[in-house]
Amino acid sequence: MPRMNEKLRYWMLVLPALAVMIFFYIWPVLNIWGISVTEPATGLGNYTKMFDSNAVRVSFMLTFRIAAITTVVCLLLGYILAYTISNFATKARPLMLGLVLLPFWVSVLIRSFAWIVLLGRSGLVNDALMDTGLIATPIRFMHNETGVLIAMVHVMLPFAVLPMLTNMRGIPGSYMKAARGLGASEWRAFRDVYFPQTLPGVFSGGLLVFVLSLGFYITPALLGGGRVMMISEYITYQIQEFLNWGLGAALSVALLVATAIILFVAGRFVNLRKTFLERN
Amino acid sequence: MDTSDHHFQSDLAEIAAEKYKAGTLSRRGFLSAMGALGLVPLLGNRALAQASEVVVCNWGGQASDILRDLLGKAFEEETGIPVRVDGAGPSAGKVRAMVESGAVVWDVCDSGAGSAIVMNGAGVIQDIDYSIVDKSKVLEGTALPFAVGNYLFSYAMAYNPTMLPGGAPQSWADVWNVKDFPGMRTFRKSVRGQLEAAAQAMGIAKEDVYEFLDDDGIKAAIAKFRELRDNIIVWGSGSDSQNLFLQGEVAMGNIYSTRGFLLREQMEPGTFKMTYDGALLQPGMWVVPKNNPAGTETAMKFIATVQDPQLQAEWFVAIGNGPINPAAAALVPAELSEWNPNTPENVAKQVIYNDEWYGKNQVSAEELYIDALIG
Repeated sequence: MPRMNEKLRYWMLVLPALAVMIFFYIWPVLNIWGISVTEPATGLGNYTKMFDSNAVRVSFMLTFRIAAITTVVCLLLGYILAYTISNFATKARPLMLGLVLLPFWVSVLIRSFAWIVLLGRSGLVNDALMDTGLIATPIRFMHNETGVLIAMVHVMLPFAVLPMLTNMRGIPGSYMKAARGLGASEWRAFRDVYFPQTLPGVFSGGLLVFVLSLGFYITPALLGGGRVMMISEYITYQIQEFLNWGLGAALSVALLVATAIILFVAGRFVNLRKTFLERN
Repeated sequence: MDTSDHHFQSDLAEIAAEKYKAGTLSRRGFLSAMGALGLVPLLGNRALAQASEVVVCNWGGQASDILRDLLGKAFEEETGIPVRVDGAGPSAGKVRAMVESGAVVWDVCDSGAGSAIVMNGAGVIQDIDYSIVDKSKVLEGTALPFAVGNYLFSYAMAYNPTMLPGGAPQSWADVWNVKDFPGMRTFRKSVRGQLEAAAQAMGIAKEDVYEFLDDDGIKAAIAKFRELRDNIIVWGSGSDSQNLFLQGEVAMGNIYSTRGFLLREQMEPGTFKMTYDGALLQPGMWVVPKNNPAGTETAMKFIATVQDPQLQAEWFVAIGNGPINPAAAALVPAELSEWNPNTPENVAKQVIYNDEWYGKNQVSAEELYIDALIG
């Protein structure tokens, strides 16, 4: 019996998942794009309105600023953590890995509420600082951008740690030993030999965190005091409060395009295929 | 508790109804969307609301329990017809969806004047039968042909004296005075009930607020929020505003009087005050959907029964809903009287809600307001 045509077999296997994607994702998304140029009137009215609106500009800038800061902080903290886990922890490694993954078991909503308990004006952190006499009046940790950043870094940290960890664990210790053996100082060996090899992991982690942060919704809504309105919350607001589907859809198209541009630019520096598909 | 909170109107059902109307959603798609939202009883479930009971729909939470245990019980005692309370939130969109799909399950709905006007325009609610419902038992101006007042609430100035060593704010102007009254303020994340406060902070007399709030006035009032925004934390739901005071996050703010009534008991003595000076008084409204299962007469009887001043006073004591029936004021325990928005003294202090203004300006003002708060 002749073997089933390779190509046909490939498509047969892909078909169920593809069908689900087309019917439940791609088709509705195309509809949303349609809404952005048809409601309330056919044309590009929603897009002109979007570019004219000061609030949209502010919200977009805020979104990109928060995503960028979150990414930088996550990379810094994550790098140190990944470095420690892969190079120093031996016995404790499973435990430390478990601790990195643990937050995934708790919903973002619960984690955000937990931050409210910690960071509030009469929250644990402020109470402790006041009781020890370090401060006289409570510090405003939340209901502002600071609170959003603290909580977002917390939520995003595993996404930065994991790619870097995978990358670091693939670097044989012999390179560092060779560099040291050739007379390089520890710092120099790290800077010139180890660090360049970790860059793919850093870029992957950074890209993941940045792209995910752009679409963040719950955390800013809960910890931002209503005034740190990132673009996804702004979209929700347009659709739910004003029934303004047209503008909401146009905004989501803009967010998608902006994200695509970033991925495109990043693709010139990072191997995207490796980042998102081939984790080894 | 978020009674008559039109915040909820813009929910999925409403959007689906919009789409249906606009022709972008087929009737089948519309009905299945409603089904998925649990709004259309599945086939065979139509007996859910038989004529042998009255289904009253409000906005859920503790308010639903009290509606059932207090008003529902009184009606059952009087007529023998049991009352079931559904806390699903009868937004204009949902009521329209129900009536248009021919599967009405609610007999009486807790709505607001603005929504009632919209629903009447869409032809989905019945006229109130004033031979059964007593016009004289509601605050003047709240007996519309197609809706009648059920209770009152206000957007009122509240503050925490312990966080204000410089003294208590006396007016909205003081709320805008960050120098003498430092601390965070809370305002609603919607323009409803907020611009009236800003206008008064600019020195406009309470009688002239809506006259002042024309296009230029709206811009000026919004600019006041822009000026204050670094000191503002906004509340989305009524419980948000309650939490902000409970956790000491804000020193003062503009919140529902019903939330203030709860905070009065929840906060330590001396840490919470609320005043009706310059507040905005707004009525909630009963409406009766067309083709309601229990029939027009039963629904009207329910409304008439709960107009009873004694019941109205008990309702206020239980949850802080201001009695719509002015005669109830005398039956409210003396120590709670100052919290009742519907005493002659308190009514005289407040701005009276103007539907017409909201119908005309809300949408445009809302966008400007959010713009001012975020950037």
